[in-house]
Parts: sequence; structure tokens; C-alpha cells
Amino acid sequence: MSSSASDVAPRRPLLAGRGLLWEAVILAVGVGLFFLFPYDLGFLSRILIMIVFVLSLDLVLGYAGVATLGQAAMYGTGAYAAGLIAIHVTASPLLGLAAGAVAGAGIAFVSGLVLMRAHGLTLLMLSIAVAQVLQEVANKARPLTGGADGLRGIRMDPILGLWEFDFIGRAGYWYVLTVLILVLLFLKVVVNSPLGLSARGIQESPERMRAIGTPVYWRLVWIYTIAGGIAGVAGALAAQVTALVSLEVFNFDHSAEALIMLVLGGAGRLYGAVVGVAIFMLVEHVAAAVDPFNWLFLIGALVLAVVFFVPAGLLGLPKALTGLVRR
Amino acid sequence: MRRLTKELALATAAALALAGGAWADVIKVGVIAPTSGPYATYGTQFRTGVDTYQAIHGHEVDGDTVEFIWRDSGGVNPDQARSHAQELIIREGVDYLAGFTFTPNALAVAQIIDQSQTPTVIFNAATSIITEESGFFVRPSFTLWQVSAPLAEWAHGQGIEEVVIAVSDYNPGIDAETGFRTAFEAAGGTVLDTIRMPLATTDFAPFMQRVRDAGPDAVFAFLPAGPPTFAFVKAYNDNGLPGAGVQLLGTGETDETTLEALGDAALGVYTAYHYSPDHDSPENEAFLAKLFELHPDAVPNFSTVQAYDGAHVIYEMIRAAGTDGPAAIEAVKGLEWISPRGPVQIDPETRHITQNVYIREVVRDEDGQLVNREFETIEAVPDLGLVNDY
Repeated sequence: MSSSASDVAPRRPLLAGRGLLWEAVILAVGVGLFFLFPYDLGFLSRILIMIVFVLSLDLVLGYAGVATLGQAAMYGTGAYAAGLIAIHVTASPLLGLAAGAVAGAGIAFVSGLVLMRAHGLTLLMLSIAVAQVLQEVANKARPLTGGADGLRGIRMDPILGLWEFDFIGRAGYWYVLTVLILVLLFLKVVVNSPLGLSARGIQESPERMRAIGTPVYWRLVWIYTIAGGIAGVAGALAAQVTALVSLEVFNFDHSAEALIMLVLGGAGRLYGAVVGVAIFMLVEHVAAAVDPFNWLFLIGALVLAVVFFVPAGLLGLPKALTGLVRR
Repeated sequence: MRRLTKELALATAAALALAGGAWADVIKVGVIAPTSGPYATYGTQFRTGVDTYQAIHGHEVDGDTVEFIWRDSGGVNPDQARSHAQELIIREGVDYLAGFTFTPNALAVAQIIDQSQTPTVIFNAATSIITEESGFFVRPSFTLWQVSAPLAEWAHGQGIEEVVIAVSDYNPGIDAETGFRTAFEAAGGTVLDTIRMPLATTDFAPFMQRVRDAGPDAVFAFLPAGPPTFAFVKAYNDNGLPGAGVQLLGTGETDETTLEALGDAALGVYTAYHYSPDHDSPENEAFLAKLFELHPDAVPNFSTVQAYDGAHVIYEMIRAAGTDGPAAIEAVKGLEWISPRGPVQIDPETRHITQNVYIREVVRDEDGQLVNREFETIEAVPDLGLVNDY
């Protein structure tokens, strides 16, 4: 038995790669921002939540290569689940978060059973359709969801019974930052696990993966489900921090914007999502504050510049620059 | 709560220190409104309204300068509205908030303004429940109940006995439907059919056929401004409903920013609303004169005058209470003034505006422009919608 074990390649440690350097940097930056910008915690929390959401898309698109424009379906489901739990069952933030994750994963699993059989444009259209159907369901279920007025009446208990959500957003910020770091660590485990590695393989060549005996369809369904759970967490965070859920959580724009941010940062790298969201939302925030009426021009120019000059995203910038110098 | 108050005090102190101790001479008002994207017209109209008010009444109240700070909320985006409100209150140190086109955006700041005791003036968002969510909301705009219920009563008085209601299937549409139906049935009329149309559709032919088959005296419609309204009015004409004796009744469908695009199709449509730039009064004349002097290309409509009146409410609160939020709210209850839309009052109970509702017909004026001509006035209508439940 021991001899057969030695034939197998050594197991990669769960948190393989360059150690935990990146996570440590992100944590340090997150803590630093809290003290540097004590008056912008609401905005900073929105960035962190968006990062969680884009990370979920990164897992699907960047790692498994599944092009989808319907990630908002899981985000929205998570948001409504967390909101409804808070109103009708328990106002505990952590249970709400769990409900968001379960709801997001559930919707992803069910829709994934269909979606993962499709490819390319068909998949794209179907993924949009799922989000639109859910949006109309939420609109019709007015007595439950409040319809277009939004789901109101969410009052969260203190986190772990200790930290109350204050209107400056301090408790909310620490809460969201902690969840983000945990999600990053979890995703690092996932992408380095056999499941994550086979997802990469599927992105590069589904045929070859099938030939070596990988159940491609089911691997994709699981990846999609895990990503759905994370998107659900992001939605739940937004619902808890804002204390209101609107139908727009299911918006197409929401999925599309996440995609733009991911492309901006660089898909297929967990830190690409972090960098892309941070830069996009920062530019947007500053530009919109300076000129609230014309700022969209700047955002458009930024996205075009990245797509034309650094197609691999901003994380590909150093490589692109060294390539330029060597030439 | 006590801890929060302490935090608030600290935050405010810090914010004031940051503002360079400028609290006696600059009073800041944060405006959260869509200034980009498909709803940017609201932001532009609000800005025009506020500009005009400041141009007429000056930038100072009792020696304090009033400064408006604008933040873009895009479309319906409660997360963003909330974080804007936090930033404006905590970092910019604003003493008043204003704006809000969409109901969810306004609801998202209710808890914040309660905690920070910031009076918040709603320039548009028209769901009745908003002012119940926080005691710091004041709303000088309108609600759909406020305009559709008087229309129903007036229509019944005109001999219209049977109607079909056709609304877009979302909350404002259902508010309009419930308001109209309640008042129309109370007056003794009959609602033959209620059609809830998908929000995004622009193909109304099947619905028009349903209206025709029912054979009512009138069809009451509510749709969001923009393409659905154009398509609906066009389908109403194309399907021969005017010839079949079915009168079209509406509320904001013929708003001035969509009127020219509707063209002749809009002629003869009856609507009930709280403001038309065609309103005949010296206050409206002065308002329009200054507005066109500042913005010659502006197309003033209901949201312009709502922002103008909103600025008035803010000025009056500052005059009465400076930066003391609770006192400002007390001071504004029962406030009366003559607005460009007519005599108005803030209802002390609901903090919502009580105003005249006008019945208008779309006609061409002397210059050949399409206008909403007011020909009947229903005086001092309060918000009628607080009995509403889905």
C-alpha cells in the first residue's frame, strides 16, 4: 500500500503558490484604508463587496472559461435570501450570510444543470435569461419582495452579538473585509484543488480532459455552483450593509459591469478581480464626484484603452511593458 | 442608540474640523440624483430648478451661504445612494440631503438620516410609504395616488361610467391603478377590465384590442416615460380607439420632455398632474423667465418645479433652524407658500405636499407648441395613498 502511494504525485499543499503574500497585502491594504479614509467606509465597503462578486465571476470565467452574463442571478438571489431571512427569521448577520450562500449556490446548481450543457452564445443568452426570469419573479412577488419599491424593513443584529452596524459603516467595513479575506482563502484552496485544476484543463481543452476521463459537465456544474455560492455571499453582504434590496440586483448591467471589471484587472487570476474592481470603482467614484454629469466618458475611455493596449488586463501591464522595451 | 449619538457627535465634530470650522457661514446640501445614464434628465431638471431658485432668491440665507453638492446615483441603485449619503454626511458634513428620483434609493437612506438627524427633501420619488420610513423625510413632489384619484373623480363627473385600466406591471403602475380604481368605484363608476402590461414591452396592439373589446368610455393608463409611452399613445391612435369613442386618460404621460416627440398623437389626451409650464400665474411667469434666462434651451417640467420647491423648503428650514435637524423638520410642518404650480402646503401629519391637481388637455398654443393646457382645478389635494396595500 505504501509503495502504491509513492507512485502518486505528491499532493499539493492546500494553499499552494506564493504562500499567503497576496492575501497578507490585501489585508494590510484593507486595514490601512480604514485608518486613512475613515469617512469613506461606505464606499470602501461597496468596493469590497463588488470584489467578492467579481471573484465569483473569475472562478467561472477566468478559471473554467465559461462565458456568462448572468452572474447577477446568484447575487440577487443571495441578496433577497439574506433580506428575507433577516425580516422573517433571524437578524443574525452570519446566518443571513449562510442563507445567501446556500440560495446562490442552489440557484447556480439548478440553472447550471441546464447552462453547462450549452456553449458560447447559447450559454450567454441562457445565462442572461435566468437573471431576467428571476427579476420578473421578484417583481411579481410584490407582497414578499416589495417589488420595484425594494425590500425594506431589514434591521440587522450586531455581528456575533458584539459589533453593531453603525451609520458611519465601521462595523460593516470590518465585517465585509473579513468575509472578503475568507473568500479569497477559500478560492485559493478551490483553484488549487483537483476540481480547480481540472477547471483550468477544461478551459484549455475540454476534449482532452474528456479523453483522460474527466467528467467535464459535472466539474463545470460544481464550479458554477461554488461560484454561485460566493456571488450569493456578495449579494447577502450588500443586502445587510444597505438594509434594502431592490429589483436591480438582478440587472443585466450588474453582470456586465462585473465582467468589465474582471477584464480590466485580468481574468484567471484571483488578484485580477481585486485590482480591476478597485481601479474601476475608484476612477468611477472620483470622476463622478468631479463631474457628475459627464463622467461616463472617462470610464469608456479607460475600458477601451485597456482592451486595446493591455488585453490581458492591468495585471498583464508589467509584462506588456517589458515586452515593449525588449522589442 | 446613545453610543450612536456619541459616534455621530464625534464624526460631526471631525467633519466640521475638516471643513475648517466653517459651520457658521456655509451650509451644505447634498443632492443625490441620477446625473448620468438613461435617467440623467432628472438630474439636469433638478439642477435647473435649484439654479433658478438660487438665482432668484440668492445664495445666502441670513448671511449663511447655501452650497449644493451633487452626487450621481445613476439609476435605481440603493447601495450607491446609501454610501453617497454616508459620505456626504460624514465627510462633506452636509446638514441637509435632497434629490432622490427612485423610491428604493430614498428608502435606502432612511436609517441613516434617522441616526444623523438630517432633514432630507425628496425631489421626486413618489411612493406614499417613503415619508413613513423616517421622520426626517419631507416631500414637495407628488404621489401617484395624489394625481390619479382626482382624475378618476373628475372623469366620473364628466359622464364617464365605464373604464379600462392599463398600467405597467411595477409598483408605480399599481399605485396608479389602485388610486384610480378606488376613487372611480367610490364615485359609482365601473372598472370593466384591468390590464397589467409588462414593463419593457413596446407592442401594445394586443392590449388595445382588449380595451376595444371591452368597449369602455375611457382607458386610464400609466406607463414609465420614454419609449413605452410613445408606443402606447401611438397604438391607441393606430388601433382606432379615439374613433371608437374611447377617451385616453393619463397622468405624467404627456410630460413636457416627451410631448414634442409624441407630436399630434398626443392632441386631445386628458391628464391630471400637478404642474404644467403653461400654468397661468405671476409666480410661474417669474420662475420661467429666470429659468430661460439661465438655461435658454431648458424644457421645464414637473421635476424642475419639484426641485425648485425643494430648494424653497430647504431655504425655509435653514431660515427657521439653521443646522438643527429636528427643529428644521418641526419648522417645515405646515409651511405654506405660493409655488409656480400654485398654492401649496407641507401637510404637518405626513410631511408630504398638499397641492392643486389640474386637469389638462394637450393642445397647440399660439406658437404652435404642444402644451398641457389646464382647464380645471381640484384644490388642495393631500397624499391619498397611505391606505394603500398591494
